[in-house]
Amino acid sequence: MDNINVLIIEDTPEQSDALSKVLLANKYNIVGVARSYTEALKLFYELPIDIIVIDVFLDGKPDGITFAETINIIPNASKPFVFLTSSQDRQIFERAKLTKPFSFLMKPFNELEILYALEMAVEKFYEQNNVFLSEEQDTVISNDYLFIKKKNALKKVALNDILYIEVEERYCNIITEKEKFVILISLTKISDLLDKSKFIRTHRNIIVNSDKIEEIILADNLIILKGNHKINLSDTYKDFIKKMNILS
Amino acid sequence: MTKFKLFLISLYLIIPSILFSQEEATNAVFNKSLQKIAIRFRTEINFNKAHYFFTNQKWDSTLVYCMKQLNSGKNKELDDYCHYLRGNSFRHLKLFQEAKKELNLVTKNFVYYPLVNKVLGESSSELKEFKKAIYYFNEVEKWPNLDNQGIKIGGIYIDLGVCYLHLNQFEKAEKYLLKSKYLLEKENNKESLFLLYTNIANLYYIQFKDKQAIPYFEKGYSLSNKINRFDLKYRASKNMSVVEENRGDFKQAIVYRKESEQWKDSLNDQNKVWAVADFEKKFAVAQKQKQIKVLEVENRLKNSQRNWLFFSAISLLLLLTAGIYFYAQKVKNAKIILLQKNKLDELNATKDQLFSIVSHDLRSSVNALKTSNAKLSATLETKNYDELNQLIIQNSGIANGAYSLLDNLLHWALLQTKQLYFHKESVHLFSIVQQIEYNYKSLLLEKSITFENSVSRNIFIFVDLDSLKIVLRNLLDNAIKFSNENGKISFYSVETHTDFCQLVLEDTGLGMSVNTINELLADNELLAKKSNSEIIGTGLGMQLCKQMIKKNDGTLAIESEVNKGTKMILSFPKTNQNG
Repeated sequence: MDNINVLIIEDTPEQSDALSKVLLANKYNIVGVARSYTEALKLFYELPIDIIVIDVFLDGKPDGITFAETINIIPNASKPFVFLTSSQDRQIFERAKLTKPFSFLMKPFNELEILYALEMAVEKFYEQNNVFLSEEQDTVISNDYLFIKKKNALKKVALNDILYIEVEERYCNIITEKEKFVILISLTKISDLLDKSKFIRTHRNIIVNSDKIEEIILADNLIILKGNHKINLSDTYKDFIKKMNILS
Repeated sequence: MTKFKLFLISLYLIIPSILFSQEEATNAVFNKSLQKIAIRFRTEINFNKAHYFFTNQKWDSTLVYCMKQLNSGKNKELDDYCHYLRGNSFRHLKLFQEAKKELNLVTKNFVYYPLVNKVLGESSSELKEFKKAIYYFNEVEKWPNLDNQGIKIGGIYIDLGVCYLHLNQFEKAEKYLLKSKYLLEKENNKESLFLLYTNIANLYYIQFKDKQAIPYFEKGYSLSNKINRFDLKYRASKNMSVVEENRGDFKQAIVYRKESEQWKDSLNDQNKVWAVADFEKKFAVAQKQKQIKVLEVENRLKNSQRNWLFFSAISLLLLLTAGIYFYAQKVKNAKIILLQKNKLDELNATKDQLFSIVSHDLRSSVNALKTSNAKLSATLETKNYDELNQLIIQNSGIANGAYSLLDNLLHWALLQTKQLYFHKESVHLFSIVQQIEYNYKSLLLEKSITFENSVSRNIFIFVDLDSLKIVLRNLLDNAIKFSNENGKISFYSVETHTDFCQLVLEDTGLGMSVNTINELLADNELLAKKSNSEIIGTGLGMQLCKQMIKKNDGTLAIESEVNKGTKMILSFPKTNQNG
């Protein structure tokens, strides 16, 4: 599991320092702090970013919103973001509202509020609402990552690292090459949200990352994955083999 | 010689007169039947027109329309009528040759053939073709039932007599005239008789039978006195004068001559009178026409005047109505404005009061901070670090209180000016309670109050996050303010309804009386006045809470017991799980 990469766009060093401190304490990874709109854009393209925290007013101008509007326009580039503002100016809000996903946090805020706001931003951005705070689920699934809430901190796991997923009632065991952990999500939801051409069900409670398959032994109903993980293959789900390009 | 000449003059005058006098009776019967025919052939417009003009003795028009009818019509029955009408018209226009030509075109089967013969006879006699005339008149005489044709046989006898007279066949003339005399004396038609007598007198006189002639002249003369026709009177008196002259009684002759002259003048006078009368009539008609025109103009004037009056009355009425309407509107507006003014005055007073309270609070807060700071620097000099820490905590508490007061003030102002941004979204209630509590941790610790958050983690409510935070902050602030040391404050949720969720904030503090609760919940925009000035603030926080809850479609209820504790029961709409 990796920490979440956060980009902070905040022109006041005091505030950005305080924010960095809070986020670092909660195991977030601060990849950069931008002071202006241009710097923010530059960092946005250079760094691997998961979430952006944007101060609405940079040097007294609502450049924060301009930034959000800019990344909104670029297809597939946008990331979850949170606006920080101390103003309750209605006009600013009306403009900010047009950016998606729109979530904001009023200054001053405490530790819990910023963490809540970040989680909300991720949920809204991937359109999987009410996940992190419910008792039934703790994972948001994007195209590249699983965002998992572990205690108070948000973590991520790249989908490419996953070998297979084993479902046990309401929990899923995620097995990567390096580690193994449990997330809270139902089988139907996880199979809905994962790319079906890549993640294949081979058994009633097992989903395999097809990129990681090394060998399929039909006689023994076995699939051997990278790292020599042996997975059972049930007859009901054998059909997927026909769709695969097999060297013969 | 002179005698004969005179006689001839009178004779010529006489003949046509007889014929015309007869004409009227003939026409009456014929016209009736003509009208019947016209009605029968209603569709023949030309014939009907001809008939109309004929009965009105417009001869030229009759000729024209008869011709049109003859050219267009294929109706032989009407042809005979048309030829007859044309012949008769020509005769009246004294175109006797044309009349004869036209009448000869009439077939023998024509019902009124005797009339044709009669007109032929008359025309012939006018053309001095007396023998032919006699032939025609004889044809008429032979007809069995002349009354049906409207022909008086007496008239025919006179015509025959006159014709024979012209041919100097005196015996035959005498025979017919006497026959006629016999018939006419029965009828007692004065004009006919007069002419008959004159003719008989002439008959005898021409044969120099003066003795027989003179009584007839005298008879004629005496008849003429009874007739109201100047021309006849003139003729009678002239005849008498000729007779007297020939008898040698010149004196008498002069008397008659004078009389005749007088009648002649009268005749002229009459003509003149008629002309004058005619002129006068025309003048009168013109005058009347003028009057009518004047009246018409007057009428038009009156009409336009009346219309003008009518429209002006209507427009005045409209003006009046509009005036009344606008006046009523004005009065209504004034009333509304007055009401609004009163309300505004009241609100302004409230605002002023709020200002004074807020400034007082702030003043005391800042003052406390000031004294505390003075104490702090004093303590710093003595390097008493334990007390220093305590003072800092106290300072931050005061600052927090002032901040929350200002925060409330800002939000209240925003709410009042409707500038507050309001965006409803799904909110995790447990997290929010946690976040609110986070800020009050030190305060809770200071008062040794146990805090418990047992809100269900599965509740999501659909509200505006910031306004919810304001509400919760204020309520928690109050709860801490009114709690004693070692008290307990707990948040918990109650799910009573599928669409709503209750959030209860329970404390073990001072509690309040029913009156205070009612005062707090009373729905007015004025701030409740406070009795306990020591720990109770402006009431602004409570007011703000109520308005925010209302805006979020929530409700607020309070359960409280004095000295035991208070339950603040909030209810908010849940997030619709399906969308």
